[in-house]
Amino acid sequence: MGGAKVTLHDGARVAIIGGGPAGSFFGIFASKLARDMGKALDLTIYERKSFVTHGASGCNMCAGVVSESLVQTLALEGINLPPTVVQCGIESYYFHTLDGSIEIKSSRLSQRGIATVFRGSGPAGSVAKGIQSFDDFLLQKAIEHGACVKRSFIDRVCMEGDKPELYSGGNMLQDCDLLVGAFGIKAGTGKMYEDIIPGYKVPPTVKTAQSEIELGSDWVAHRFGHSIHIFLLRIPGIKFASVIPKGDYITISVLGKDPKADHIKAFLNHDAMKKFLPSGFKVPEKFCHCFPKISVGAARKPFARRTAFVGDASSTRLYKDGIGSAYITAKAAAHTALLHGIGEKDFREYYFPTCKSLNRDNLFGQFLFAANHLMSVVSPISRSYFNIVRCEQKSLQKNTPYSDILWDMFTGSRCYKDIFMRTLHPWWIIYLLGAVVIYPFKKAVFSFINR
Amino acid sequence: MSEDSLLGRLYKDDEIIVEEGTQSRTMYVIQGGKVKVVKSAKGSETVLALLGAGDIFGEMSLFDASPRSATIKAVGEARVLAIEYEGLLKRIKMDPTLALRIIKQMCQRIRDLNGRLISAQRTMHHTSDTLLQLKKAEDVRIKDLEPKIITIVTQLQEKLHAITEQYVHQGESLHEY
Ligand SMILES: Cc1cc2nc3c(=O)[nH]c(=O)nc-3n(C[C@H](O)[C@H](O)[C@H](O)COP(=O)(O)OP(=O)(O)OC[C@H]3O[C@@H](n4cnc5c(N)ncnc54)[C@H](O)[C@@H]3O)c2cc1C
Repeated sequence: MGGAKVTLHDGARVAIIGGGPAGSFFGIFASKLARDMGKALDLTIYERKSFVTHGASGCNMCAGVVSESLVQTLALEGINLPPTVVQCGIESYYFHTLDGSIEIKSSRLSQRGIATVFRGSGPAGSVAKGIQSFDDFLLQKAIEHGACVKRSFIDRVCMEGDKPELYSGGNMLQDCDLLVGAFGIKAGTGKMYEDIIPGYKVPPTVKTAQSEIELGSDWVAHRFGHSIHIFLLRIPGIKFASVIPKGDYITISVLGKDPKADHIKAFLNHDAMKKFLPSGFKVPEKFCHCFPKISVGAARKPFARRTAFVGDASSTRLYKDGIGSAYITAKAAAHTALLHGIGEKDFREYYFPTCKSLNRDNLFGQFLFAANHLMSVVSPISRSYFNIVRCEQKSLQKNTPYSDILWDMFTGSRCYKDIFMRTLHPWWIIYLLGAVVIYPFKKAVFSFINR
Repeated sequence: MSEDSLLGRLYKDDEIIVEEGTQSRTMYVIQGGKVKVVKSAKGSETVLALLGAGDIFGEMSLFDASPRSATIKAVGEARVLAIEYEGLLKRIKMDPTLALRIIKQMCQRIRDLNGRLISAQRTMHHTSDTLLQLKKAEDVRIKDLEPKIITIVTQLQEKLHAITEQYVHQGESLHEY
């Protein structure tokens, strides 16, 4: 399928399937660069959902944490998240284990640098609370830049001659010079492409559980503050659970082996979590919950002649900053298309390296999450680690390497390789092992003295 | 919208965000409210610019390690997002186009400064011409000169104010999105 060099000419037709973050980012950056280059693109985003409706039908189901690095990057791009979109500005993370809790703040910047958002217009049943959907906000930005949005579900794509054609409900909607697959992993649209695009394979996924619980803004602000709470409680079937404050609600995100509604209930009924809930709180009969899939690998060959896949449909960072990965891949694909061309060779040479670098970094991520899981189940190590972190947090002016590792891992502020390299520092290991050995000894001495 | 949903750090009225002469490489983006760029000399403060939501400041420290060239203070309450230097450098290394908006803003500021310089030079020429004319008049006493000088100084002040105002408005229209 090699063929002659193909480029995006003035007036070229670009069709983007999916109006999630990846689709909108592609729309924004392609239009912006085209304008800078003196070209105009005829750009259409096809999105089946309306993000202004409440509940699952208008939501791209995710924990809704916009990472520290993405908040900063977007601000530099001139995309500042307005207070209607940001539900809570986050300044710290709490880690709750069976041995107690610690709060970690960034040693680099003291500010509310992370945003929590609703991807849709809020949970089912939340009527007119002034919530603006994050996905809708980005889609509006794409429209401001000249993209056109159509509410259709693309159920068939075929190649007619050299150009892709898009269909919905049996009707041909358009042909295009460039097709951008920004359909994520949740809708199963990717499977359709495995048949049309030779070599493309959707990324592997695992199931997660998500839930929104209404507690009232006063309660949420008072008990959860401006912090994301990570619970490492060794509840059977749960690796870890995160609680994210969002105005009147908390979002609970559970990662584990095949999590179900019962796992969410077990977590809410755990003593460590109960402390954060109003006394007498009972899990409601009906509560907003879903089981979205999360990508845990990379798509194979996310490009072809006149086709590029971006966001979750391509490569994304393991368990972290999926929206940030959508930004990275969408911008790289848009720039490749405009600056180099839309042939298979162009995408392989200029776009694929961005995906490969995310994929390579995820190998380090896998190691780090495995090590973190191991530490959280081996009491002496987790206790010692958290003791060191607790000491570090008392004076943030000094070096805080152990806290920084946790902060960067859970906020997604640094790439996994960077964090991994820091964990290899000999002093890091010696000090931690020393703490593991000294802790039981210290405990024995104290109990002897107190006898 | 509640204060809870604002990002960055909150600064109170007149609180210093960046201090002239200090060394720091952090850059800032205003999330809400206004800030002023001021230069202090001999106890008096000159406002160089007023910046609003979406504006970037402190970007010069990205390119050189020199001390801060001016002081930045909050005007009323202002929320400002700090951009961490090391993380930013890593992101720019991955995607150099990220620096484009910063460079664009710096270009805009250089153009503004050029405009202000030319305007100030014109006013200076006008002033020196007027003084020369006065000097040529033979029977001039210092006392007689006073009202003339006051008028010239007032004109100069007004000119400076107009330039600053113009700069502020240009600053506000810098937003790209
Ligand atoms: C439980 C969970 C928690 C997460 N938490 C976070 C987090 O806190 N922070 C973070 O950064 N990331 C998080 N992620 C990851 C994040 O959700 C994704 O990485 C991100 O949404 C990817 O964006 P995208 O645009 O590629 O795909 P999506 O957001 O899935 O968007 C795809 C869009 O395409 C549309 N679409 C699909 N097929 C078609 C079709 N055929 N026709 C028309 N439209 C179509 C869909 O309706 C959808 O709107 C989480 C994921 C999960 C599962």
